[in-house]
Amino acid sequence: MLLELNNLTIPTFDKRKNIVEKISLDVQKGSIHAIIGPNGSGKSTIAYSIMGLENYQPSEGEIIFEGENITELGVTERAQRGITLAWQEPARIEGLSVLKYIALGIKDKSNLKKKVIEALKTVNLEPKKYINRFIDESLSGGERKRIELAATIAMRPKLILLDEPDAGLDMIVIEDFLNIFNKIKELDMTILLITHREDIGMVADRGTLVWQGMSLITDKFAEVMLRYCAKAGLKEFCKRTLFEDTEKCFDEDYIDKIFAEENSK
Amino acid sequence: MSNTEYPEEILQSLGDYNIDVRDFLPGHGGGAKLLLDFNKISGVEEIEGVVLKGREIENGIVADIIIKEGSVIEEPVHLCFGVKNETGVQEIFPRIIAEDNTEVKIQAHCSFPNADGLIHKMFGHFYIGNNCKFSYNETHYHGEKSGALVAPVSYMYIGENSIYENTFNLTSGTPGKVKIMLDIYAMKNSVIRSNIKAFGKSGKDSIRIRDAIYLEGENARSVLKMKAAAKNGGEVLMYGITEGNAPRCNGHVECQEIVLGKGSICRARPFIRAIDPTSTVSHEASLGRFPQKWLDELQAKGLTEEEATEILIEAMLREE
Repeated sequence: MLLELNNLTIPTFDKRKNIVEKISLDVQKGSIHAIIGPNGSGKSTIAYSIMGLENYQPSEGEIIFEGENITELGVTERAQRGITLAWQEPARIEGLSVLKYIALGIKDKSNLKKKVIEALKTVNLEPKKYINRFIDESLSGGERKRIELAATIAMRPKLILLDEPDAGLDMIVIEDFLNIFNKIKELDMTILLITHREDIGMVADRGTLVWQGMSLITDKFAEVMLRYCAKAGLKEFCKRTLFEDTEKCFDEDYIDKIFAEENSK
Repeated sequence: MSNTEYPEEILQSLGDYNIDVRDFLPGHGGGAKLLLDFNKISGVEEIEGVVLKGREIENGIVADIIIKEGSVIEEPVHLCFGVKNETGVQEIFPRIIAEDNTEVKIQAHCSFPNADGLIHKMFGHFYIGNNCKFSYNETHYHGEKSGALVAPVSYMYIGENSIYENTFNLTSGTPGKVKIMLDIYAMKNSVIRSNIKAFGKSGKDSIRIRDAIYLEGENARSVLKMKAAAKNGGEVLMYGITEGNAPRCNGHVECQEIVLGKGSICRARPFIRAIDPTSTVSHEASLGRFPQKWLDELQAKGLTEEEATEILIEAMLREE
């Protein structure tokens, strides 16, 4: 197991209430694992807590990475152990070239340019066009997200936390991003994907449903999505959208059964 | 002039800015140039459309630069005021005139690599005519001993419909004591962009920059950006002034300063004034540390907080 969250409780900054309570999940090495749930359910909070960000320290529970308890470690120490986060809204640190920005996390500085070029290719950005550009307002939101993704890939981390990678992107770009996620997986990196969209999550091997700050189920992603729809009362949406390679993931009887179970709670 | 005739320390001193002074020596490149070796004029080269005269005086020079009417000067005019001595006084009196309908870029390099008690003063007058595009870029390097006292004062008149771009860069090496004063008077429909960057690195570094833009002509516009960092006891005061004194003029002052380590001081004083009811003048200032999110982003790539801060300062001081 690459990552385990055991009974993780994360309070608000003022400690008055908990954003997530007793969350437990495990992420298998080499997989894409999606955390799905509605807005405000605490998905991004979990990612920030795994990364060790200030104000997202758990009050209870533990985070285990490759068998080591990292709950008390800072951001830098976690990154140096192989965890990184691709941000939903990456800051525009103007004045840095794309080359320098992507190279920041590369430990072995030999053949630096070549490594940056490879990372740019992985996110489908033409290296010649981007490598000497500066990170400024001339880059679109989609380009900045790709560059952020390239910077995380160039680090060769063991675990990439992807926080709402689809936010602000059009469908064409999203489709391309799904292909990029699979390329990352082939490069032997694990992805923990934070999303509220079923079409993004379908790229995942497994998923965890987070609902009102609690993890309800960890299973194959389609199964998790079905429970999400049942919880939200979205039966027609579920029947319309849950497909895998054009095949329906579930027959209608099974969907009816899960919805009936949920309604009886 | 061959490379060997000009002090090697000065030739190499601007490497951190990616500037190779060799490119600007007489006989190299196509631009007009004036080179000073302490208080001796060691090279002057004029080109068509650029009159460049220098006269040595006690402790310095008077330099007259005239861009002739209608001239579009492709290569930058290069002014190199280098001093390899540790001590002494260098006083520069540049008088720069860009006649109407001209375009030119002037690059001034002030390099004092061994300064340890050196005084550099400048008293400049710039007259930019109508319909001009004038760019003045000044890059400083004051060595590593915080041993320079640098005090330039400039007055600039920017004519109607002209664009004036000013950059001042003092981010490499240790500044020492720096006192800069700049007054820019902007006439009708002129556009002024001024970017000032400085980095104080020790308790012996004290930088005071007072830049003022007076929007005197209708529809004149300006953006004044001042960026600085101070660490290890360094001190920076940036005083950015913009006055809107004419109808529909528009000015903005922006100060960003980062403080690192105990004893370092950054102060920003944006001062804005509008006396015409149709003018707009605004300011924003931020002091202290970088936003936590920016630090988090870089630390999540494995950098320590100190490394992340260094990178952010580098980016801030490079940003156009």
